[in-house]
Parts: sequence; C-alpha cells; structure tokens
Amino acid sequence: MWAYLIRRLVYNIPVFIGILLLVMLALRVRDPVYAFLGKNVSEETIEARREEFGLNRPLLLARPSESQFGRFVTQVFTLDFTEESWDYPGQTVGEIMGRCVGPSLALSIPALVLTTLISVSISLFSAWFRGRWIDQALVISAVIGMSISFLVYIIFGQYFGAFLLPELTGYETFAINGYVHPSETTWSEYFTYYWPHHCLLPVLISVIVGMGYDTRFYRAVMVEESGRDYITTARAKGASQLRVMFVHMLKNAMIPIITRVAITIPFLITGSFLLETYFSIPGMGRQLILAVEHADFPIVQAFTAVFAGLYIVVNLLTDVLYALVDPRVRLS
Amino acid sequence: MSDDTQSRSMQKFLRHRPAIVSLAIIVIYVMIAATLLLSSVVTIEQTLRPVGPFNLPGFGGQKLPEKRLSDIERDLNAINTALRRSDTQEQLRGVRSGSLVLGVTDPQQLRTELDDIQSTIDRLYQYEDLDLMVEDGTDNAPEMLEQLGVAESRTHALFQLPPGQTGLGRQLELLLGTDQQGRSILLRGIWSVRVAILVGFVTGIVSVILGTTLGLLSGYFGGWVDNVITWIYSTFASIPNIVLLIVLSFAFSGGEFDDIVNGWTGGLVGRLVGGPLEETLVPVFIAFCATYWIGPCRVIRGEALKLRELEYVQAAQVLGYGRIRILLRHMLPNVAHLMLINFSLLFIGAIKSEVILSFLGLGVKKGPSWGIMINQSGQEVINGFYWQIGTATVFMFGLVLAFNILSDALQDILDPRHVG
Repeated sequence: MWAYLIRRLVYNIPVFIGILLLVMLALRVRDPVYAFLGKNVSEETIEARREEFGLNRPLLLARPSESQFGRFVTQVFTLDFTEESWDYPGQTVGEIMGRCVGPSLALSIPALVLTTLISVSISLFSAWFRGRWIDQALVISAVIGMSISFLVYIIFGQYFGAFLLPELTGYETFAINGYVHPSETTWSEYFTYYWPHHCLLPVLISVIVGMGYDTRFYRAVMVEESGRDYITTARAKGASQLRVMFVHMLKNAMIPIITRVAITIPFLITGSFLLETYFSIPGMGRQLILAVEHADFPIVQAFTAVFAGLYIVVNLLTDVLYALVDPRVRLS
Repeated sequence: MSDDTQSRSMQKFLRHRPAIVSLAIIVIYVMIAATLLLSSVVTIEQTLRPVGPFNLPGFGGQKLPEKRLSDIERDLNAINTALRRSDTQEQLRGVRSGSLVLGVTDPQQLRTELDDIQSTIDRLYQYEDLDLMVEDGTDNAPEMLEQLGVAESRTHALFQLPPGQTGLGRQLELLLGTDQQGRSILLRGIWSVRVAILVGFVTGIVSVILGTTLGLLSGYFGGWVDNVITWIYSTFASIPNIVLLIVLSFAFSGGEFDDIVNGWTGGLVGRLVGGPLEETLVPVFIAFCATYWIGPCRVIRGEALKLRELEYVQAAQVLGYGRIRILLRHMLPNVAHLMLINFSLLFIGAIKSEVILSFLGLGVKKGPSWGIMINQSGQEVINGFYWQIGTATVFMFGLVLAFNILSDALQDILDPRHVG
C-alpha cells in the first residue's frame, strides 16, 4: 500500500504544478494591479505595487527564484502563506485562511452528516417499498427537488425561517447575518445559542437541497445491491426481510456510501459559496468570492492552490479508504 | 451498436412516455430560443426598459391601495414637473409612465385634469391607512376603493401607447407583472430562455466534442498521448468545479480579455460580435467548456480502453484499416450513447451553474437571466411579491425537470449497467 501511496503522490506532483500554472495564468489575463487599484491611479503607484509583489518579474522563463511561477510554487510547497492580503492590509493570507476555516466547517460538517443520514434512511425506506406508490412518490419528489434552483431554496428558506417564523412565534429564531465566532463567546453558549441561531437554517436548507441528489444515488445503490446473488442466498436461508436489508444489504452498500461521502470532504473546507454569501457567514467560500470581487489577488491565488491541493490529497485518501473498506479492491 | 440494438433502443425510448413528454418540452424551449435568436420579437432593450409601475402583480392583479396611490402620485408629479418648466411642450413629450407616453398635450387641459385628480387624491389622504381599511373591511372601504379607481383610471386616460405598440403587446408585457424597476417580467423570463438554451447547448456540444475527441485519442493510442491528456484532465479535475468556474469567469471579465483577443485578431472579433466581448456570453462559454469537458473525457477514455481490446476493433486492425478510420468508423459510434447521456447531464449542470454564477456577478453581464431574476427577487419576496421569483423558477424548473427526466431515461435505455 505504501508503494501505491508514494507512486500516486509522485504522479500527482506534475498535476499539482499544472494546477498552479493554470491558476497563475488565469489570474494574469487581467492585470491584477489594475483590477485592484482601478484605472484612476497614477502609473507610478501601479508600478510601485507591481514591484512590491514581484508582478513585473518574468512569468516562467527565468531561474526559479526569479520568476513569478517559481516563487508561487516555492511558496505553496513550503506552505509559506505569509504574503499580505491586498484588501486587508496587515493580515497575511494564512491568517485569513485560518480564520475562515472554522465557520465553513461549522456549516458544512453538520450539513454533510445530516444529509447522508437522512438520505440513506430514505433510500432504504424507498428500496424496501420498491415499485410501490410510496417509492415512486419519493423518486418523483427527488427529481422535482433537484430541478429547483438552489437560490430559490435559499430565498424562501430565509423568508420563512428568518422573517415569517419570528413574526409568527415572536421569538428571534434564525438570523441571516452577524455570525459570532466561538472565540467571542464561551463554547457552551456558542453551541446552545449562537450556532443554532446563525447556522441551523443554512444547514437545513443545504440538507433539503442535497437530499434529492443523495437519495436518488443511494436508492440506485440499494436497488442494485438488492438484485445480487448474496441477497437471494440470504433469503433462501430464511433470513427475515429486516435482517436482509440492514445486515446484508446495508453493509455492502456502505462502500458506495463511503465513497460518495469521501468525495465531498474537500468541499467541507471550500464551504458553500451561496449559503455563506447569503447568510454572511465568514467562511472560505465567501472569502474567495469577496476576494474575486475586490481583486484581492494573493488570496484568490492562495485559496485556489490550497483547495486544489486538498482535493488531490483527499482523493488519494479516498482510494486508500476504499481499499480498507472493500477487501475486493487492491491498490496497484 | 448494431442497427438491431439501435432500433430496439429507439423503440424503448418511444414507449417511455415521460421521456417523450420531456423531449417535447425541451423542443418548445429550443424553439422559443431559436425564435429569439433569429428574429427580434423580444429584444434585449425591451427587457431592460420599464414598461409600467414597479412590482405590478401579473394577470391584471392590483397592488395594495397605498402603493396604487403612490403610483398615481408619481405620474402626476412627472406631469407637474414638466408643466412648470419653460419648455413645457418639449418636457411633456418626455413624460413617461412605464413605456406609455402622454396622450393629452394641451397644457391647459392637463392642468384642469390634474387639479381634478388631485382633489380626489386629497380626499383619500384623509384616511390614515388605506391598506388597513381594506384589510379590516371598514364601512367606507368600498367608497375609498371606488375613488381610488376613479383617480387611477383618469390618470391612465392621460397616457397612451407609444407609437408602434399595440394594446395586445402591452397586455402581454404586463401579463406576469413587473419587477422592482418596472420592467416586464414575462419578457425577462423569455429572454432568459434564450440565455439558458445558448449556454446549455454551447457548453454541452463543445464540451462533449472536446471530451470525446481527447478521450478517444487517449484511450485508443495510450502511451504518451494518454499520459499528456490524463495529465491535462487531472489538472482541471483537481480544482473544485465552482472554484474553477469562478477563477475563469473572473479572468474573462474586466475588459482585458477583450483587448487580448482583439489584439490577436486585429479587432476582428470585436467587430463580429458588435461590441465588447465581455458583454456577450463568450466568457461564460469559455469558462463552462473549460470546466465541463472533463466529465465526458474521463468516461469516454474508460470506454475506449475497453473497446480497444474487443475483437472487432482488433479485427479491423488486422485488416489493415487506418487508425483514423478505426477511431471514426468503429469506435466513435460505440461511444455515441455516452456522448448523448453526457450532453444532457452537462446541459443541466450548465444551466444551474449559470444561475449561480450570475448571482455572484460573474455570469451574464448584460440583460437578464434566471439567476439574475431570482437573485433580484430576494427583497421582493420579503415584501410579499412573488411574480418575479415565481416566473424565473417555473421557467427554469420546466427545462431542468425535462432534462433530468430525459437524461434518466437515456441512461436507463442506453447504459443500463450504470448506477446512480
């Protein structure tokens, strides 16, 4: 397995360098300094900033320590995120990233756990009643749910949760802005009041949106599994329907379930761009969008590189996990 | 696929009623888009100019009395301002209520009319809150509503249709109401069909063609070709989709991309498009195609690897057929079903991403799209106005649902072993 891991890692180095190149080139189609400072600034100011950030150096063809690309690659591989953000003077990219990871996770982990649990349960239920009206109704509602835009869910979710509900009940139920970091209060208060107040509604919206896709996928997995020989064997040996479903089928269905969950792990960090933006939760996704809007070039560059690196590492781990769960899979 | 399986798939498809209905719906959408592309039934200018008071409900619905009153006042104010200026005639010609122009241009007549209407309105001002009166059903509510109606119709009578517009056209414009700026929701919704179909088709076709070509080459030739292509697609695939879309859309906005392209082509592209590229959908197309070709490429490369080992391909090789011939005549038809499935999946993906990107301000730059409409309607929903979000959602829902059902059916029929 170690040999496999190392081989994959080595194979991924050119891929990662390719990503860095792609990101760097894409971000230089527009002149970053121009985009940030606007067009009403004197040539000297622009030149000075170019000089300061090394944007006047050659892109590729120079010694690694001289070229922009060389510097970028070195920075990423030595995990040197001390470059200063343009939009927040005095703060390094690393600090901002560290600040943004928490809120993203506060939103994405509960959402992932809930979505998976609910979807798997519904899909088991659906597979149990396969072909009956209840199953068909679930399948149809999943397709309908998938066909509505995420934005619509968010707008109506905010309307009901943060506008109508407080009006009806008289309680301050959900907020749509003003996220409070756990460091600003105590942990117990954070979990009993602040988290539900700010994050529960986006989590619920995210669960409702994700349910359609996941339920459909898991149901297909269950249906696929239920046609296999081992199920027939178990039935023939007199196992009850419950036992067949929960012991035999679910155990085997765990492989695709785990794979699907693992695939979404990198997105835990990237966070949900839309939810974070709509609910003003200061997570990674919102920060990247803000950085793009304000042309905060060091942040866009570093965030993209980190997201991609994370994606590669997690994909690698997924393959390993896959082999651990399913003895039929050999890493080679 | 042999002719036999092909006709069997066709039969299965024809018997799949939901799929046929979905296909019909998609054809309708495509026809709407084609009409808009080829003729000028609805122009982009029409979707950008106000046609009536803001947030007017659809199907002839009426706003709450207080808002109706302020609409009347706005029209009266516009006329009054014009009357007070020295170049009255000139100013009166510029007065608009939505897209309507003044029908009565005699200043004296206008003044008497305005005074009359004003006196009716003044009577209405004696009441504290007209909305509440209607809600509570107070005794003088019907009388108040009648007076309001009179003032409204007298104000409307001052205006007439602009030259070149028919009454039916105006009714259609107002059919689904107006948005916050008084623009026609129906026209905006319909224009967005054009945007969505364009984005879906271009992304779908270009990505599938690109992905298929690279996938087939990579799977069939193997060796360094495979290595290079796998490297490229791993690179693109290792950046989360939405991040790649955001970075690419960012790169193509802001005008520098225009300068680069026009610099290379000597201004040709700019002249062809008839304006800055940034305002067209080209940047969106590029960002989407660069992101979405990966899916089909991966799938088709896998299939090509499998096909390469099959006897019929090897037989063709033994017969001495050229590689191009084998690729085009023997392998391509056998991945056609995957191309079709991928196309319909990409279509949905592109439409949904367009909505999200437009919300983030990185998608469509000029004119409306469903994403822009939905995003705009956030405030309207809180004020209890659902026409804009409803229109955009229903329009989009129809298309995406039809494509979802169609791609499911295609997958069931053409690629039954696929899970999920």
